[in-house]
Amino acid sequence: MAYTTFNRNEFDTFKQPMFFGEHVNVARYDQQKHKIFENLIEKQLSFFWRPEEVDLTNDRKDFLDLPDHEKHIFVSNLKYQTLLDSVQGRSPNVAFLPVVSLPELETWIETWSFSETIHSRSYTHIVRNIVPNPATIFDDITRNEHITRRAVSVTHYYDSFIELSNYYQQLGEGTHTVNGQAVEVNMHELKRRLYLTLVSVNVLEAIRFYVSFACSFAFAERAKMEGNAKIIKLIARDEALHLTGTQHMLQIIARGKDDADFAVIAEECKADVVRIFAEAAQQEKEWADYLFKDGSMIGLNKDILCQYVEYITNQRIAALGFDRIFEARSNPLPWINSWLNSDNVQVAPQESEISSYLVGALDSEVDTNDLGDFDL
Amino acid sequence: MSRPYPMSQPPESNHQDLSSSANDSFELDGNIEPDSGTGLPPFELEPPPATSDSSAQQVELYLPERDPEQPEQTPQLELEGMAPPVFAITLDDGHQARFQYAANLLESLEAQQIDVHFQCREGYCGSCRAQLLSGEVHYANDPLAWLNEGEILLCCCIPRSDVKIKL
Repeated sequence: MAYTTFNRNEFDTFKQPMFFGEHVNVARYDQQKHKIFENLIEKQLSFFWRPEEVDLTNDRKDFLDLPDHEKHIFVSNLKYQTLLDSVQGRSPNVAFLPVVSLPELETWIETWSFSETIHSRSYTHIVRNIVPNPATIFDDITRNEHITRRAVSVTHYYDSFIELSNYYQQLGEGTHTVNGQAVEVNMHELKRRLYLTLVSVNVLEAIRFYVSFACSFAFAERAKMEGNAKIIKLIARDEALHLTGTQHMLQIIARGKDDADFAVIAEECKADVVRIFAEAAQQEKEWADYLFKDGSMIGLNKDILCQYVEYITNQRIAALGFDRIFEARSNPLPWINSWLNSDNVQVAPQESEISSYLVGALDSEVDTNDLGDFDL
Repeated sequence: MSRPYPMSQPPESNHQDLSSSANDSFELDGNIEPDSGTGLPPFELEPPPATSDSSAQQVELYLPERDPEQPEQTPQLELEGMAPPVFAITLDDGHQARFQYAANLLESLEAQQIDVHFQCREGYCGSCRAQLLSGEVHYANDPLAWLNEGEILLCCCIPRSDVKIKL
């Protein structure tokens, strides 16, 4: 089904599924099939922040004073975060927008992806502050085999879905010959790959990011690199919202509240979901091995980080209604909660970062009685 | 709209004589005589956790040093002729607590030394998801996080009856 930027068909938006229905046309929000996405958009907009708001001058001094093995931990972690947000800043748009069928979901995907681009910009802001030549850090992201191995696992499902989805848009369903090779395009496989992509995105946001947050906050817990931690706090606040977004998409699909075929596919993919979570946990543990290869830092070592991986994996898979993969354990890093709590981001309500402080919020309700003692 | 302590007092009254008012006239949560006329079964709270030697900076980051289950710090509208309703909270592992003054269930449990996972404290991250085994809760604002059947979000609900929950 060829993509059109403005679908001329008339259709009932309430009968459309989230994906693979009619292409969207009017970006209207008066009729909403899943109002949750509008709520997520509003929340995300209220979170708006810019990296330049955070002062990083002390971080430069802190970084120079770090021992070499801690510099390795900090920089590698930062590279990984940069990789993750580079992927998330574009992939939801490229993968999901061509097949989305609800305006509110389309706008949520764009808002979501946009906020990831702010995260990417903040990494440049951080890197500029800690090293004289940012290229030494950024260039290594495509060269260092430990990072590139992470890139493969992060992008695999996206790429596989986008490939098939492109064929579908150009050629439609059926068996086609492309460059001498047979390509089979059918809706079942498309939806299966889309579902697995959503799962892997949820894993990226709900597990991989959190492991990297733990490292960033471990520095700040010792009063090092605090500016960096402030930025990561803002990023963590956004990511908490994004993972709620993917959890909603996955659950709406799995409960058949959207598309009956999709619910069947979700049921078929149950074992794959568990496998994706388990693989990601394993990859994060291997990454912990690389981070701490030259030595641990005070407050965080390989074992504790691996326990955190298991804890957070359990939490996230349980949120999707699956059984926990690992033995139930309590949070091995209890101090991370206070760093992840967005209400600790800052204190003065007139500042922009408190999400509940809405500009222009006023009580517009006027009762006739209010005018009782009003004389002309 | 959903800051954790929406009803906190204006600054000038925040520091007034907490020492003198904290231990009279009100029956404080977490300090309960078994037979205080509330009809609750007698129960024991866990012993308070050992205080950790966290740095000054960490203390600043932790939650405010106030007890949400103390009425002076969580003022509510006066109800004429009656105390705010008290609801028993039972956990599946046998722990018991009660809800009276706090702004939400999460705060109440924390004030009574029950560890709950949390992150955003305003309904969008889903960290404090718990199972409601019996009873009824009320949300002032609908939470953004996904909730399965029988799950509640502790950070933005209050009980409407005695509740039994599984963390």
